[in-house]
Amino acid sequence: MNSQPKIIAFCCNWCSYAAADLAGISRLQYPGSIRIIRVMCSGMVHPEMVLHALNKGADGVMIIGCPLGECHYIKGNEMALARAEVIADTLEDQGFDSERFQVAWVSSAEPERLAEIFREMSARLAVLRGTPQVEAVIGD
Amino acid sequence: MRPRLSFEWLHACSGCEIALLNSGELLLGLLERVEIVHFPLLMDHKYTNRADGEGELNLPEAEIGLVSGGVASEEHLAVLRAMRARCRTLVSLGTCATHGGIPALRNQWPIATALKTVYAGPEEGTPIPDTVLASLDRVYSIDEQVPVDVSLPGCPPRPESIIELLEALLAEESFHLPCKSVCETCPTIRTGKGQQKVRRFLANAEYDPEKTVAEMRCLLEQGLLCMGPVTAGGCGGKDAPLCIRARVPCRGCYGPVRQGGNQLLDMLNALASNGMGHRDIVDRRSLLRFSGAHGLLKPLRERK
Amino acid sequence: MNQVISIHPVTRIEGHARIDIHLDESGQVCDARVGIAALRGFEQFVVGRPAEEIPRIVNRICGICPWMHHLAAVKAIDGCFGVTPAPAGHLLRELCQVLAHIHDKILHFFFLAAPDFVLGPAGDYAVRNIMGLVRQEPELAAQVVRMRQLAQMMLERFAGKAIHPVAGVVGGFAKPMREEERQGLLADSRILLDFASSALDYAKNRVFSRFCDGLQSLGTITTGFLGTVDHQGALRLYDGQLRLMRPDGTTVDFPANEYERYLAEQVEPWSSAKMVYARSWGEGFSLDPNAPRGVYRVNTLARINVCDRIATPRAQAELEAFREQFGRPAQGTLLYHWARLIELVYACERTLELLADDRITDPAVRIPATPRAGRGIGHVEAPRGTLIHDYSTDDNGCITRANLIVGTTHNIAPMNLSVRQAAASLISAGEVDDEMLNRIEMAVRAYDP
Repeated sequence: MNSQPKIIAFCCNWCSYAAADLAGISRLQYPGSIRIIRVMCSGMVHPEMVLHALNKGADGVMIIGCPLGECHYIKGNEMALARAEVIADTLEDQGFDSERFQVAWVSSAEPERLAEIFREMSARLAVLRGTPQVEAVIGD
Repeated sequence: MRPRLSFEWLHACSGCEIALLNSGELLLGLLERVEIVHFPLLMDHKYTNRADGEGELNLPEAEIGLVSGGVASEEHLAVLRAMRARCRTLVSLGTCATHGGIPALRNQWPIATALKTVYAGPEEGTPIPDTVLASLDRVYSIDEQVPVDVSLPGCPPRPESIIELLEALLAEESFHLPCKSVCETCPTIRTGKGQQKVRRFLANAEYDPEKTVAEMRCLLEQGLLCMGPVTAGGCGGKDAPLCIRARVPCRGCYGPVRQGGNQLLDMLNALASNGMGHRDIVDRRSLLRFSGAHGLLKPLRERK
Repeated sequence: MNQVISIHPVTRIEGHARIDIHLDESGQVCDARVGIAALRGFEQFVVGRPAEEIPRIVNRICGICPWMHHLAAVKAIDGCFGVTPAPAGHLLRELCQVLAHIHDKILHFFFLAAPDFVLGPAGDYAVRNIMGLVRQEPELAAQVVRMRQLAQMMLERFAGKAIHPVAGVVGGFAKPMREEERQGLLADSRILLDFASSALDYAKNRVFSRFCDGLQSLGTITTGFLGTVDHQGALRLYDGQLRLMRPDGTTVDFPANEYERYLAEQVEPWSSAKMVYARSWGEGFSLDPNAPRGVYRVNTLARINVCDRIATPRAQAELEAFREQFGRPAQGTLLYHWARLIELVYACERTLELLADDRITDPAVRIPATPRAGRGIGHVEAPRGTLIHDYSTDDNGCITRANLIVGTTHNIAPMNLSVRQAAASLISAGEVDDEMLNRIEMAVRAYDP
């Protein structure tokens, strides 16, 4: 059984995904249980996708987009920020600890920062894992 | 032999049955072509032989069974299972049946808390009646308990839609609700740019009462919370949605646009994506006031 | 041999109920109970909600009388927020309320109750229902269906939704009435009034005349009564003073916000529906059939008993004729049906009166409200009886506490007494047949629970 927390990370094609590529080439270390899903813009991640991931057993979910002001589509990350607020507000309602969701802004030239963010998230969730498991919601 | 229809109502308010009766002469026409074999509101077919108060539920066989209301007690469950067993095609009628409806608001609290509140007496420790103790842990929609063949949401469903559904079933054709979301038939003026703050409905919307609904500005753009974008459409047929005709914003009584949708997440998301104040909403959990079944509404955990 | 005979479900009522009749060793009725097993818990799930949303939630308490809960709640929230509605708002609310009474009474009398009288209480159950009525009297049935639909469609045309309304709002009403709408409604209301008069004539000739004995005896008990009257003691459905009458006919009037001084709720372990009794009589509460204490009734018979008169002419004439025949207060349980049709005439006449009032087309229909902490008690006379909604709010205008006394609740205790009386008068030596059981149900149906 994989002892590391399973994390789904929605990474924007133009920044954080590129940073992850760079992290790989540079042989930077971060937990192998991070699953990266490439999206064209952080703004396209619907809150339901985050909830779906948590319901299906992810320990945590991240949305990592371009720093504000640098979005390839101008305002997509502003939408991501607003949507992230929605997720943060409603996670407790749905029965999940708020630590299970994180949004971050990483540029394509910051692979070390990306790896750091992944390591910190994984460590936080490992602590949470010691607490009673939240019951998954039936269906979706 | 005429096709047999059987009706039951569970955790219901009887609004769906009244909607059916409101179809007036359409219903009279239908009655000539079917045989109603069980319908507690209108006819005296009973569950049990009188000699022995308990025993198997004596529900007749039927080609079409319609059940309204959610499932909240052992008795509801028994009646529902009997309907599923005896009816070839089972229809869940109304939003309580399809999504839990208003009574599923109770799911925000543990059942014990709700009972205490309702029966709170002047003295401590007023007893809870025995009959109520057979409540289930929460309010369920019908499809959470048995397989359902057709769902017709609405609070209540439009009378014409109920008749159309029955006609389709009798002709063995398929039936679909006419439109996806409430906005689809709403004729109000939408400019794409509206208020950013969302305010409570403490004063009427802005409109000219001498002009039609089509000349009124979209209520959501006026800054009123209107759940049209995240609610299944059809309440007014092909014409303006009913609440909009009353110049009042939609509160989502037909349930989500998609069968498994989450009206709270969808609405907050819609507001956030359009730069509107999703944090202005007081009591956001009531966005699920019609669709609290399927585990969507539940008691908040104690935060450690 | 002790035996329990169950009628389950009670049919042709507007909800879920069962009757359990207990027989002792010699086959005599020793107890009879009406069990209403529905608990939704509205008093819990309105807590924490913005008060102005409540009228659109509590209307779902009942799909037959949603306007009643809607308006009682709206009035209570006006009280919480300290807002006095615009006059046109009041008129429009009352118009919708009396219109809603009309469809309800037609439904109850013709769809639910009449089959027992017109087709006979002993008839085959497959025939003794509205479908049987349609086959036996197709013209009457078609007219009844059309009239009921007309009353509902009038509400929908003007107020958007007839079932589970939304147009009543804190501070008034959601939309004003245009002159063209008013004329259309006036024309339809005249049709309804003519129908109401002919319905009462039909009932007197074809229904009540055939059941003279039953009208006075089946399920008949001696109780007090509760209704609503205006300042001149005339029947009023929308607003006014509550009037509580003792069995001996003496009365006391009080405003709805003092209800807790006069009425008290009681929980019995065998009934999930609470019961209410007259606390102010100082005799406590007892369901002993030989010596009931604190028991009073609501709903149509109660309202016409407590009022001194009815302020509209045709209904007043009918009331006078009724009183000449049955006295005041009239205790015969089946007389509820007669009283229901008198009220139907009043509701139609009142609709015309309201529409004739020029203020009803005033465009100022709503005063904006500001949320605040407060308590408000709103009441209306629902078809089923006096309806009281009592809410308290916090500084943010959200509900902290709710107490709801619905119309049927007041009648739970009397219904139990009536069923006991009916069962005891019909059943002896343990012999029971379907007709007897249906007659016992008729004692419940009269209350339109």
